[in-house]
Amino acid sequence: MIIRTANLNLYYHKFQALQNVNVNIQRNIITGIIGSSGCGKSTLLRVFNRMNDLIEGVGITGSVLIDGEDIYSPMHDLIQLRKRVGMVFQRPNAFPLSIFDNIAYGPRVWSISDKKTLSEIVERSLSAVDLFADLQDKLDSPALGLSAEKQQRLCIARLLAVEPEILLMDEPCSALDPIATGKIEELMIELKKKYTIIIVTHNMQQAARIADEVGFMLLGELVEFGTAKMIFTNPRDRRTFDYISGRFG
Amino acid sequence: MDRHFDEELLHVRRKIVDMAALVEESIAKSLAALKKRNAEMASEICGIDRRIDELEIAIEDMCIELIARHQPVGSDLRFLIGTIKMNNDLERMGDHAVNIAETVQYVKESQDIGQIMNIWAMAEIVIEMLRESVESFIHNDAARAQRVCERDSIVDGMRNETIRILLTHMLEEPEKIGSAIQYMLVAKNLERIADLSTNICEDVIYIAQARVIKHHAEEKKG
Repeated sequence: MIIRTANLNLYYHKFQALQNVNVNIQRNIITGIIGSSGCGKSTLLRVFNRMNDLIEGVGITGSVLIDGEDIYSPMHDLIQLRKRVGMVFQRPNAFPLSIFDNIAYGPRVWSISDKKTLSEIVERSLSAVDLFADLQDKLDSPALGLSAEKQQRLCIARLLAVEPEILLMDEPCSALDPIATGKIEELMIELKKKYTIIIVTHNMQQAARIADEVGFMLLGELVEFGTAKMIFTNPRDRRTFDYISGRFG
Repeated sequence: MDRHFDEELLHVRRKIVDMAALVEESIAKSLAALKKRNAEMASEICGIDRRIDELEIAIEDMCIELIARHQPVGSDLRFLIGTIKMNNDLERMGDHAVNIAETVQYVKESQDIGQIMNIWAMAEIVIEMLRESVESFIHNDAARAQRVCERDSIVDGMRNETIRILLTHMLEEPEKIGSAIQYMLVAKNLERIADLSTNICEDVIYIAQARVIKHHAEEKKG
Protein backbone atom coordinates (compact mmCIF):
# COMPACT_ATOMS: atom_id res chain seq x y z
CA MET A 1 0.00 0.00 0.00
CA ILE A 2 1.25 3.47 -0.79
CA ILE A 3 -1.29 5.88 0.78
CA ARG A 4 -3.20 5.45 4.00
CA THR A 5 -5.51 7.91 5.69
CA ALA A 6 -6.73 7.50 9.24
CA ASN A 7 -9.73 9.37 10.67
CA LEU A 8 -9.21 12.16 8.18
CA ASN A 9 -11.44 15.21 8.60
CA LEU A 10 -11.15 18.38 6.57
CA TYR A 11 -12.87 21.69 7.20
CA TYR A 12 -13.28 24.81 5.09
CA HIS A 13 -13.78 27.22 8.00
CA LYS A 14 -16.79 25.65 9.75
CA PHE A 15 -17.93 23.50 6.85
CA GLN A 16 -16.80 19.89 7.16
CA ALA A 17 -15.88 18.68 3.64
CA LEU A 18 -14.38 15.30 4.61
CA GLN A 19 -15.74 13.16 7.41
CA ASN A 20 -13.60 10.55 9.06
CA VAL A 21 -12.14 9.15 5.86
CA ASN A 22 -10.17 5.93 6.24
CA VAL A 23 -8.74 4.62 3.01
CA ASN A 24 -5.84 2.45 1.86
CA ILE A 25 -4.64 3.05 -1.67
CA GLN A 26 -2.56 0.36 -3.33
CA ARG A 27 0.53 0.84 -5.47
CA ASN A 28 0.44 0.53 -9.28
CA ILE A 29 -3.29 0.38 -9.69
CA ILE A 30 -5.90 2.92 -10.73
CA THR A 31 -8.08 4.02 -7.84
CA GLY A 32 -11.24 5.83 -8.88
CA ILE A 33 -13.13 8.20 -6.59
CA ILE A 34 -16.75 8.69 -7.64
CA GLY A 35 -19.64 10.67 -6.25
CA SER A 36 -21.90 13.58 -7.13
CA SER A 37 -20.74 17.20 -7.28
CA GLY A 38 -19.70 18.64 -3.93
CA CYS A 39 -19.29 15.25 -2.25
CA GLY A 40 -15.65 15.94 -1.38
CA LYS A 41 -13.90 13.78 -3.96
CA SER A 42 -11.67 16.56 -5.35
CA THR A 43 -10.97 17.72 -1.82
CA LEU A 44 -9.81 14.21 -0.91
CA LEU A 45 -7.59 14.11 -4.01
CA ARG A 46 -5.99 17.42 -3.14
CA VAL A 47 -5.22 16.14 0.35
CA PHE A 48 -2.64 13.76 -1.15
CA ASN A 49 -0.35 16.51 -2.43
CA ARG A 50 -1.46 19.18 0.04
CA MET A 51 -3.01 21.36 -2.62
CA ASN A 52 -5.72 22.28 -0.10
CA ASP A 53 -3.03 24.16 1.86
CA LEU A 54 -3.39 26.90 -0.74
CA ILE A 55 -7.03 27.46 0.24
CA GLU A 56 -7.69 29.88 3.06
CA GLY A 57 -9.36 28.57 6.19
CA VAL A 58 -8.60 24.89 5.64
CA GLY A 59 -8.19 22.73 8.71
CA ILE A 60 -7.27 19.05 8.82
CA THR A 61 -7.37 16.43 11.56
CA GLY A 62 -6.31 12.80 11.32
CA SER A 63 -3.35 11.51 9.38
CA VAL A 64 -2.28 10.95 5.79
CA LEU A 65 0.64 8.59 5.31
CA ILE A 66 2.51 7.99 2.07
CA ASP A 67 4.79 5.00 2.38
CA GLY A 68 4.44 5.34 6.13
CA GLU A 69 5.46 9.03 6.25
CA ASP A 70 3.00 11.58 7.59
CA ILE A 71 2.80 14.18 4.82
CA TYR A 72 1.18 16.70 7.15
CA SER A 73 4.05 16.54 9.62
CA PRO A 74 5.78 19.96 9.92
CA MET A 75 9.04 18.20 9.03
CA HIS A 76 7.71 16.96 5.71
CA ASP A 77 9.32 18.52 2.60
CA LEU A 78 6.45 20.02 0.62
CA ILE A 79 8.50 20.54 -2.54
CA GLN A 80 9.55 16.89 -2.57
CA LEU A 81 5.93 15.87 -1.96
CA ARG A 82 4.69 17.83 -4.99
CA LYS A 83 7.43 16.24 -7.12
CA ARG A 84 6.51 12.79 -5.90
CA VAL A 85 2.76 13.33 -6.21
CA GLY A 86 1.87 15.04 -9.48
CA MET A 87 -1.51 16.33 -10.53
CA VAL A 88 -3.48 16.56 -13.77
CA PHE A 89 -6.41 18.96 -13.89
CA GLN A 90 -9.78 19.09 -15.65
CA ARG A 91 -8.58 21.40 -18.38
CA PRO A 92 -5.22 20.91 -20.00
CA ASN A 93 -2.97 23.66 -18.64
CA ALA A 94 -0.06 23.67 -21.04
CA PHE A 95 2.28 26.63 -20.52
CA PRO A 96 2.50 29.23 -23.30
CA LEU A 97 5.89 27.81 -24.24
CA SER A 98 7.18 25.36 -26.82
CA ILE A 99 6.41 21.67 -26.49
CA PHE A 100 10.04 21.04 -25.50
CA ASP A 101 10.06 23.76 -22.86
CA ASN A 102 6.81 22.54 -21.34
CA ILE A 103 8.32 19.12 -20.69
CA ALA A 104 11.71 20.49 -19.68
CA TYR A 105 10.16 22.99 -17.26
CA GLY A 106 10.08 20.66 -14.22
CA PRO A 107 13.55 19.18 -14.72
CA ARG A 108 14.96 22.73 -15.11
CA VAL A 109 13.34 23.68 -11.79
CA TRP A 110 15.23 20.69 -10.39
CA SER A 111 18.45 22.20 -11.80
CA ILE A 112 18.90 19.99 -14.82
CA SER A 113 20.33 22.21 -17.53
CA ASP A 114 22.35 19.87 -19.71
CA LYS A 115 20.74 19.98 -23.16
CA LYS A 116 21.41 16.31 -23.91
CA THR A 117 19.89 15.17 -20.60
CA LEU A 118 16.87 17.42 -21.11
CA SER A 119 16.39 16.06 -24.65
CA GLU A 120 16.44 12.51 -23.29
CA ILE A 121 13.88 13.42 -20.63
CA VAL A 122 11.63 15.09 -23.24
CA GLU A 123 11.84 12.07 -25.54
CA ARG A 124 11.22 9.59 -22.70
CA SER A 125 8.29 11.59 -21.29
CA LEU A 126 6.60 12.17 -24.65
CA SER A 127 7.11 8.51 -25.59
CA ALA A 128 5.42 7.42 -22.36
CA VAL A 129 2.26 9.26 -23.40
CA ASP A 130 2.57 8.06 -27.01
CA LEU A 131 3.24 11.56 -28.40
CA PHE A 132 6.89 11.45 -29.38
CA ALA A 133 6.43 9.88 -32.82
CA ASP A 134 3.89 12.60 -33.66
CA LEU A 135 5.75 15.57 -32.21
CA GLN A 136 9.45 14.80 -32.56
CA ASP A 137 9.75 17.22 -35.49
CA LYS A 138 7.64 19.91 -33.82
CA LEU A 139 9.27 20.20 -30.43
CA ASP A 140 9.84 23.93 -30.92
CA SER A 141 6.18 24.57 -31.82
CA PRO A 142 3.91 26.23 -29.27
CA ALA A 143 2.20 23.70 -27.00
CA LEU A 144 -1.02 25.71 -27.08
CA GLY A 145 -1.37 24.89 -30.79
CA LEU A 146 -2.04 21.21 -30.00
CA SER A 147 -5.52 19.67 -29.76
CA ALA A 148 -7.09 19.48 -26.29
CA GLU A 149 -6.37 15.74 -26.07
CA LYS A 150 -2.72 16.19 -27.05
CA GLN A 151 -2.39 19.09 -24.61
CA GLN A 152 -3.72 16.85 -21.85
CA ARG A 153 -1.22 14.14 -22.85
CA LEU A 154 1.49 16.80 -22.85
CA CYS A 155 0.50 17.82 -19.32
CA ILE A 156 0.79 14.20 -18.23
CA ALA A 157 4.20 13.98 -19.94
CA ARG A 158 5.23 17.16 -18.12
CA LEU A 159 4.45 15.41 -14.83
CA LEU A 160 6.36 12.28 -15.82
CA ALA A 161 9.45 14.37 -16.60
CA VAL A 162 10.06 14.91 -12.87
CA GLU A 163 9.62 11.18 -12.18
CA PRO A 164 6.70 11.17 -9.76
CA GLU A 165 5.36 8.01 -8.11
CA ILE A 166 1.74 9.01 -7.78
CA LEU A 167 -0.45 10.71 -10.38
CA LEU A 168 -3.55 12.51 -9.17
CA MET A 169 -6.09 13.14 -11.90
CA ASP A 170 -9.00 15.46 -11.28
CA GLU A 171 -11.59 14.87 -14.01
CA PRO A 172 -8.82 14.66 -16.62
CA CYS A 173 -11.22 13.94 -19.48
CA SER A 174 -14.05 16.32 -18.70
CA ALA A 175 -12.93 18.78 -21.40
CA LEU A 176 -12.37 16.06 -24.00
CA ASP A 177 -14.60 14.40 -26.59
CA PRO A 178 -15.32 10.62 -26.36
CA ILE A 179 -12.51 9.60 -28.74
CA ALA A 180 -9.92 11.71 -26.92
CA THR A 181 -11.30 10.39 -23.61
CA GLY A 182 -10.79 6.81 -24.82
CA LYS A 183 -7.17 7.58 -25.69
CA ILE A 184 -6.46 9.13 -22.29
CA GLU A 185 -8.09 6.14 -20.58
CA GLU A 186 -5.90 3.73 -22.53
CA LEU A 187 -2.90 5.84 -21.56
CA MET A 188 -3.84 5.61 -17.88
CA ILE A 189 -4.02 1.82 -18.13
CA GLU A 190 -0.52 1.81 -19.63
CA LEU A 191 0.83 4.23 -17.02
CA LYS A 192 -0.37 2.24 -14.02
CA LYS A 193 2.36 -0.30 -14.73
CA LYS A 194 4.86 2.30 -13.48
CA TYR A 195 2.76 4.76 -11.46
CA THR A 196 0.02 4.76 -8.85
CA ILE A 197 -2.98 6.63 -10.24
CA ILE A 198 -5.88 8.16 -8.36
CA ILE A 199 -8.61 9.60 -10.53
CA VAL A 200 -11.59 11.65 -9.49
CA THR A 201 -14.47 11.48 -11.91
CA HIS A 202 -18.17 12.06 -11.92
CA ASN A 203 -18.26 9.96 -15.07
CA MET A 204 -19.10 6.72 -13.33
CA GLN A 205 -18.68 4.69 -16.52
CA GLN A 206 -15.13 5.92 -16.75
CA ALA A 207 -14.36 4.64 -13.26
CA ALA A 208 -16.04 1.34 -14.15
CA ARG A 209 -13.95 1.00 -17.30
CA ILE A 210 -10.51 1.80 -15.99
CA ALA A 211 -10.33 1.70 -12.18
CA ASP A 212 -9.13 -1.34 -10.28
CA GLU A 213 -10.47 -0.06 -6.98
CA VAL A 214 -13.25 2.46 -6.47
CA GLY A 215 -14.40 4.62 -3.60
CA PHE A 216 -17.89 6.13 -3.51
CA MET A 217 -18.23 9.42 -1.62
CA LEU A 218 -21.35 11.15 -0.40
CA LEU A 219 -21.52 14.38 1.63
CA GLY A 220 -17.87 14.13 2.62
CA GLU A 221 -18.10 10.52 3.71
CA LEU A 222 -16.34 7.63 2.00
CA VAL A 223 -19.41 5.41 1.91
CA GLU A 224 -17.81 2.38 0.30
CA PHE A 225 -14.43 1.36 -1.03
CA GLY A 226 -13.58 -1.86 -2.86
CA THR A 227 -12.64 -3.48 -6.13
CA ALA A 228 -14.34 -2.05 -9.20
CA LYS A 229 -15.82 -5.49 -9.77
CA MET A 230 -17.41 -5.49 -6.33
CA ILE A 231 -18.65 -1.89 -6.50
CA PHE A 232 -20.26 -2.36 -9.92
CA THR A 233 -21.65 -5.88 -9.54
CA ASN A 234 -22.37 -6.21 -5.84
CA PRO A 235 -22.10 -2.97 -3.82
CA ARG A 236 -22.57 -3.52 -0.12
CA ASP A 237 -24.18 -0.16 0.69
CA ARG A 238 -27.61 0.77 -0.60
CA ARG A 239 -26.46 4.36 -1.23
CA THR A 240 -23.70 3.12 -3.54
CA PHE A 241 -26.19 1.01 -5.46
CA ASP A 242 -28.59 3.95 -5.76
CA TYR A 243 -25.80 6.15 -7.13
CA ILE A 244 -24.32 3.70 -9.64
CA SER A 245 -27.78 2.70 -10.86
CA GLY A 246 -28.65 6.35 -11.47
CA ARG A 247 -31.34 6.52 -8.81
CA PHE A 248 -29.76 9.66 -7.44
CA GLY A 249 -26.80 11.88 -8.11
CA MET B 1 -2.59 1.54 -28.62
CA ASP B 2 -5.06 -1.35 -28.36
CA ARG B 3 -8.32 -0.85 -26.57
CA HIS B 4 -8.02 -2.45 -23.16
CA PHE B 5 -11.60 -3.68 -23.43
CA ASP B 6 -10.76 -5.51 -26.67
CA GLU B 7 -8.00 -7.37 -24.86
CA GLU B 8 -10.46 -8.41 -22.18
CA LEU B 9 -12.92 -9.64 -24.81
CA LEU B 10 -10.09 -11.61 -26.41
CA HIS B 11 -9.31 -13.16 -23.04
CA VAL B 12 -12.93 -14.31 -22.69
CA ARG B 13 -12.84 -15.70 -26.23
CA ARG B 14 -9.67 -17.70 -25.43
CA LYS B 15 -11.21 -19.07 -22.24
CA ILE B 16 -14.35 -20.30 -23.98
CA VAL B 17 -12.25 -21.96 -26.69
CA ASP B 18 -10.23 -23.69 -23.93
CA MET B 19 -13.50 -24.86 -22.40
CA ALA B 20 -14.75 -26.17 -25.74
CA ALA B 21 -11.51 -28.16 -26.15
CA LEU B 22 -12.04 -29.72 -22.71
CA VAL B 23 -15.64 -30.59 -23.55
CA GLU B 24 -14.59 -32.22 -26.80
CA GLU B 25 -11.91 -34.19 -24.95
CA SER B 26 -14.48 -35.30 -22.37
CA ILE B 27 -16.99 -36.49 -24.99
CA ALA B 28 -14.35 -38.27 -27.09
CA LYS B 29 -12.89 -39.98 -24.02
CA SER B 30 -16.27 -41.12 -22.70
CA LEU B 31 -17.08 -42.66 -26.10
CA ALA B 32 -13.66 -44.32 -26.32
CA ALA B 33 -14.20 -45.78 -22.84
CA LEU B 34 -17.59 -47.09 -23.94
CA LYS B 35 -16.16 -48.63 -27.09
CA LYS B 36 -13.43 -50.38 -25.09
CA ARG B 37 -15.80 -51.12 -22.16
CA ASN B 38 -13.06 -49.56 -20.01
CA ALA B 39 -14.47 -48.34 -16.67
CA GLU B 40 -11.14 -46.94 -15.50
CA MET B 41 -10.94 -44.69 -18.52
CA ALA B 42 -14.58 -43.65 -17.95
CA SER B 43 -13.78 -42.64 -14.38
CA GLU B 44 -11.41 -39.94 -15.68
CA ILE B 45 -14.38 -38.03 -17.11
CA CYS B 46 -15.46 -36.75 -13.68
CA GLY B 47 -12.11 -35.00 -13.24
CA ILE B 48 -12.42 -33.29 -16.63
CA ASP B 49 -15.99 -32.29 -15.78
CA ARG B 50 -14.85 -30.57 -12.59
CA ARG B 51 -12.44 -28.45 -14.67
CA ILE B 52 -15.28 -27.66 -17.09
CA ASP B 53 -17.51 -26.58 -14.20
CA GLU B 54 -14.78 -24.31 -12.81
CA LEU B 55 -14.28 -22.72 -16.22
CA GLU B 56 -18.02 -22.19 -16.60
CA ILE B 57 -18.14 -20.20 -13.36
CA ALA B 58 -15.00 -18.21 -14.26
CA ILE B 59 -16.25 -17.32 -17.75
CA GLU B 60 -19.69 -16.30 -16.51
CA ASP B 61 -18.04 -14.15 -13.86
CA MET B 62 -15.81 -12.44 -16.45
CA CYS B 63 -18.77 -11.74 -18.74
CA ILE B 64 -20.88 -10.26 -15.94
CA GLU B 65 -18.00 -8.06 -14.85
CA LEU B 66 -17.37 -6.83 -18.41
CA ILE B 67 -21.06 -6.04 -18.92
CA ALA B 68 -21.25 -4.19 -15.59
CA ARG B 69 -18.04 -2.22 -16.12
CA HIS B 70 -18.03 -1.50 -19.85
CA GLN B 71 -21.73 -1.38 -20.70
CA PRO B 72 -21.02 -2.90 -24.12
CA VAL B 73 -23.23 -2.23 -27.12
CA GLY B 74 -23.65 -3.69 -30.60
CA SER B 75 -21.45 -6.65 -31.51
CA ASP B 76 -19.58 -6.45 -28.18
CA LEU B 77 -22.85 -6.86 -26.28
CA ARG B 78 -24.00 -9.68 -28.59
CA PHE B 79 -20.62 -11.39 -28.13
CA LEU B 80 -20.88 -11.33 -24.33
CA ILE B 81 -24.53 -12.43 -24.23
CA GLY B 82 -23.81 -15.16 -26.82
CA THR B 83 -20.78 -16.28 -24.82
CA ILE B 84 -22.80 -16.60 -21.62
CA LYS B 85 -25.27 -18.85 -23.48
CA MET B 86 -22.51 -20.85 -25.20
CA ASN B 87 -20.78 -21.28 -21.84
CA ASN B 88 -23.95 -22.79 -20.43
CA ASP B 89 -24.38 -25.07 -23.47
CA LEU B 90 -20.81 -26.33 -23.24
CA GLU B 91 -21.20 -27.09 -19.57
CA ARG B 92 -24.34 -29.12 -20.33
CA MET B 93 -22.40 -31.03 -22.99
CA GLY B 94 -19.83 -31.88 -20.33
CA ASP B 95 -22.67 -33.33 -18.23
CA HIS B 96 -23.78 -35.46 -21.18
CA ALA B 97 -20.22 -36.81 -21.46
CA VAL B 98 -20.46 -37.77 -17.77
CA ASN B 99 -23.79 -39.50 -18.49
CA ILE B 100 -22.16 -41.49 -21.30
CA ALA B 101 -19.22 -42.40 -19.04
CA GLU B 102 -21.66 -43.63 -16.39
CA THR B 103 -23.11 -46.17 -18.81
CA VAL B 104 -19.71 -47.87 -19.23
CA GLN B 105 -19.82 -49.74 -15.92
CA TYR B 106 -23.37 -51.03 -16.66
CA VAL B 107 -22.42 -52.08 -20.18
CA LYS B 108 -19.36 -53.84 -18.84
CA GLU B 109 -21.44 -55.79 -16.31
CA SER B 110 -24.24 -56.62 -18.78
CA GLN B 111 -24.20 -59.18 -21.52
CA ASP B 112 -22.28 -57.90 -24.54
CA ILE B 113 -24.63 -56.69 -27.24
CA GLY B 114 -21.83 -56.39 -29.79
CA GLN B 115 -20.98 -53.24 -31.71
CA ILE B 116 -23.93 -50.96 -32.44
CA MET B 117 -22.41 -49.35 -35.51
CA ASN B 118 -25.01 -46.61 -35.67
CA ILE B 119 -23.85 -45.24 -32.30
CA TRP B 120 -20.30 -44.78 -33.55
CA ALA B 121 -21.41 -43.21 -36.81
CA MET B 122 -23.64 -40.88 -34.79
CA ALA B 123 -20.79 -40.07 -32.40
CA GLU B 124 -18.55 -39.13 -35.30
CA ILE B 125 -21.09 -36.65 -36.65
CA VAL B 126 -21.83 -35.21 -33.19
CA ILE B 127 -18.16 -34.57 -32.43
CA GLU B 128 -17.72 -33.02 -35.87
CA MET B 129 -20.75 -30.78 -35.19
CA LEU B 130 -19.24 -29.63 -31.90
CA ARG B 131 -15.87 -28.97 -33.55
CA GLU B 132 -17.49 -27.02 -36.38
CA SER B 133 -19.67 -25.00 -34.02
CA VAL B 134 -16.57 -23.93 -32.08
CA GLU B 135 -14.68 -23.17 -35.32
CA SER B 136 -17.58 -21.04 -36.54
CA PHE B 137 -17.45 -19.18 -33.20
CA ILE B 138 -13.67 -18.67 -33.46
CA HIS B 139 -13.94 -17.32 -37.02
CA ASN B 140 -17.25 -15.52 -36.45
CA ASP B 141 -18.51 -17.43 -39.48
CA ALA B 142 -22.32 -17.44 -39.72
CA ALA B 143 -22.39 -19.49 -42.94
CA ARG B 144 -20.35 -22.25 -41.33
CA ALA B 145 -22.64 -22.16 -38.28
CA GLN B 146 -25.70 -22.43 -40.52
CA ARG B 147 -24.32 -25.62 -42.11
CA VAL B 148 -23.93 -27.19 -38.64
CA CYS B 149 -27.56 -26.41 -37.79
CA GLU B 150 -28.66 -28.21 -40.94
CA ARG B 151 -26.98 -31.43 -39.74
CA ASP B 152 -29.08 -31.62 -36.57
CA SER B 153 -31.92 -33.44 -38.32
CA ILE B 154 -29.46 -36.09 -39.57
CA VAL B 155 -28.52 -36.84 -35.97
CA ASP B 156 -32.21 -36.95 -34.95
CA GLY B 157 -32.78 -39.51 -37.70
CA MET B 158 -29.81 -41.58 -36.60
CA ARG B 159 -31.05 -41.59 -33.02
CA ASN B 160 -34.44 -42.93 -34.16
CA GLU B 161 -32.70 -45.53 -36.28
CA THR B 162 -30.47 -46.55 -33.34
CA ILE B 163 -33.47 -46.93 -31.05
CA ARG B 164 -35.21 -49.08 -33.67
CA ILE B 165 -32.13 -51.33 -33.94
CA LEU B 166 -31.83 -51.59 -30.17
CA LEU B 167 -35.52 -52.44 -29.79
CA THR B 168 -35.04 -55.26 -32.26
CA HIS B 169 -32.13 -56.58 -30.12
CA MET B 170 -34.31 -56.34 -27.02
CA LEU B 171 -37.12 -58.33 -28.62
CA GLU B 172 -34.87 -60.98 -30.08
CA GLU B 173 -32.39 -61.31 -27.21
CA PRO B 174 -34.09 -60.30 -23.92
CA GLU B 175 -30.90 -61.15 -21.96
CA LYS B 176 -29.28 -58.15 -23.65
CA ILE B 177 -31.97 -55.64 -22.59
CA GLY B 178 -29.62 -54.18 -19.93
CA SER B 179 -26.96 -53.31 -22.50
CA ALA B 180 -29.53 -52.11 -25.02
CA ILE B 181 -31.04 -49.65 -22.54
CA GLN B 182 -27.58 -48.20 -21.85
CA TYR B 183 -26.94 -47.71 -25.56
CA MET B 184 -30.34 -46.01 -25.87
CA LEU B 185 -29.22 -43.58 -23.17
CA VAL B 186 -25.98 -43.00 -25.06
CA ALA B 187 -27.94 -42.27 -28.26
CA LYS B 188 -30.15 -39.84 -26.34
CA ASN B 189 -27.10 -38.07 -24.86
CA LEU B 190 -25.43 -37.82 -28.25
CA GLU B 191 -28.58 -36.36 -29.73
CA ARG B 192 -28.68 -33.74 -26.95
CA ILE B 193 -25.03 -32.84 -27.59
CA ALA B 194 -25.94 -32.25 -31.25
CA ASP B 195 -28.85 -30.03 -30.11
CA LEU B 196 -26.49 -28.02 -27.93
CA SER B 197 -23.99 -27.63 -30.82
CA THR B 198 -26.92 -26.30 -32.83
CA ASN B 199 -27.67 -23.84 -30.02
CA ILE B 200 -24.07 -22.65 -30.13
CA CYS B 201 -24.35 -22.12 -33.87
CA GLU B 202 -27.54 -20.14 -33.40
CA ASP B 203 -25.60 -17.97 -30.95
CA VAL B 204 -22.76 -17.58 -33.47
CA ILE B 205 -25.24 -16.36 -36.09
CA TYR B 206 -26.68 -13.95 -33.54
CA ILE B 207 -23.22 -12.67 -32.61
CA ALA B 208 -22.04 -12.33 -36.22
CA GLN B 209 -25.18 -11.01 -37.88
CA ALA B 210 -27.64 -10.05 -35.11
CA ARG B 211 -30.09 -12.58 -36.62
CA VAL B 212 -32.24 -14.78 -34.39
CA ILE B 213 -32.84 -18.09 -36.19
CA LYS B 214 -33.93 -20.26 -33.26
CA HIS B 215 -37.54 -21.46 -33.08
CA HIS B 216 -37.89 -20.44 -36.75
CA ALA B 217 -38.11 -16.82 -35.56
CA GLU B 218 -37.22 -15.36 -38.95
CA GLU B 219 -39.82 -17.42 -40.82
CA LYS B 220 -42.53 -16.37 -38.35
CA LYS B 221 -41.55 -12.74 -38.84
CA GLY B 222 -41.89 -13.22 -42.59
